[in-house]
Amino acid sequence: MTTHFISAEVDLHETAEQLHSAIEIELQKYGEPLRWAVTDVDVDRQKAVVEGYVLVEASPATS
Amino acid sequence: MNPRPLTVVLIVPTGVGASIGGFAGDALPVARAIAQISDTLITHPNVLNGAQLYWPIPNALYVEGYALDKFAAGCWGLQPVHQNRIGLILDSAIEPNLQLRHLQAADAARATLGLNITDCVLTDRPLQVELRISESGASWGTIGNPDSLLRAAEKLITQARVEAIAVVARFPDDEGSLALENYRRGKGVDPLAGAEAVISHLIVRTFKIPCAHAPALSALPLDPHLSPRSAAEEIGYTFLPCVLAGLGKAPQFVTPTVGQASCLSQFVTPTVGQASCLSQVWGGQDARTQVWGGQDARTQVWGGQDAHPTREKFYANRRDFESQGLWADRVDAVVIPATACGGSAILSLSARSSVQIIAVGDNKTQMQATPEKLGIKALQVNSYLEAIGVLVALRAGISPASLGADISSLRCLSD
Repeated sequence: MTTHFISAEVDLHETAEQLHSAIEIELQKYGEPLRWAVTDVDVDRQKAVVEGYVLVEASPATS
Repeated sequence: MNPRPLTVVLIVPTGVGASIGGFAGDALPVARAIAQISDTLITHPNVLNGAQLYWPIPNALYVEGYALDKFAAGCWGLQPVHQNRIGLILDSAIEPNLQLRHLQAADAARATLGLNITDCVLTDRPLQVELRISESGASWGTIGNPDSLLRAAEKLITQARVEAIAVVARFPDDEGSLALENYRRGKGVDPLAGAEAVISHLIVRTFKIPCAHAPALSALPLDPHLSPRSAAEEIGYTFLPCVLAGLGKAPQFVTPTVGQASCLSQFVTPTVGQASCLSQVWGGQDARTQVWGGQDARTQVWGGQDAHPTREKFYANRRDFESQGLWADRVDAVVIPATACGGSAILSLSARSSVQIIAVGDNKTQMQATPEKLGIKALQVNSYLEAIGVLVALRAGISPASLGADISSLRCLSD
């Protein structure tokens, strides 16, 4: 198991609840989200800047 | 008697350079004041932990950040307790003398505070904490051996049956660095805080029990210019007493078991197309299909043998389930620094129309995530004193707007 820091941009959504879902889905591409926050919003581009940690389980060894 | 208790969440995110609460438990006076006008205050270790200093607040719930996010999302409930059986994890990277200091701190908490600290485990490998600062200016970090941390926690839970875990990891001594100098002057970002959050999040996520962390560090040379905001961390050998005091009465988590729906909010707002419980989506199974499809999880969670749940039965069972603890739908207000509204808990709670978000302007942070930018409806105030006034008005059923000099005319909706 390892922890990784991720920085990503996510499209702003109509509601905060939708944005929450979109962020978790984006971070899930890298591992299981452990902690994250929107650190800034690019209003012109309608993008949320997100920083967070994800958890990556070690892959089972293959023989 | 107020028929509905006032439940307030106070959040000061850790590691983001909050000018109030970004140092050594220096948001504790804010928590004490808000607790005075709340029936229940829900807050987190970063707010309440002042190393050697702490303050028992009878109506405050000490909830670690990962659990607070789950609570806010409606996935977990909080169950107050009289006392927790606490286990202690010490990082094997801690030097023997410093280990002994921490063991003596735990013994002192047992003898002087009466806390039920029962067992200690040394990790089987050094945890290897590394610290970083992100592009936004927030502190973060990694631990090299998270599995060792989790093995130690599992040992305490299975062998000693502890109900809460205090972790002490050896953090790098950063003496002479600009970040530490600034921190000691009451400026900048706590360089340790982000990595601390990773440690406690890992344990809470894995074992679903209360956890908090204290760093082990060598004592610093005396500094005559030390800021009062940072001073609580320089009056003793460890940062552990506040963590043990907080965990002593930290609420347990009411969580669904494997195979059950893990997000109560889905039952309340079953809007097609909404997926408010991502933990199940991540696992490849959309929770909505479990809840609203043929395999209704409610029968497993609350309905016992009922294979054909009805909406009426669901609401009756939900009340039973809620009687087991405090849930997000009881939250009335959240107080948060105005520039730090981008966390999981705030985004979740902002979706609830009954929650008043109070954004405090003069608690500056390194973040730039304001309610306006995020499209979150919030009441902006300048200070915590003003926020407390808003809470008093809320409790009294008075619109805060009616306390100002200018009151706009009633808005008439057009067709």
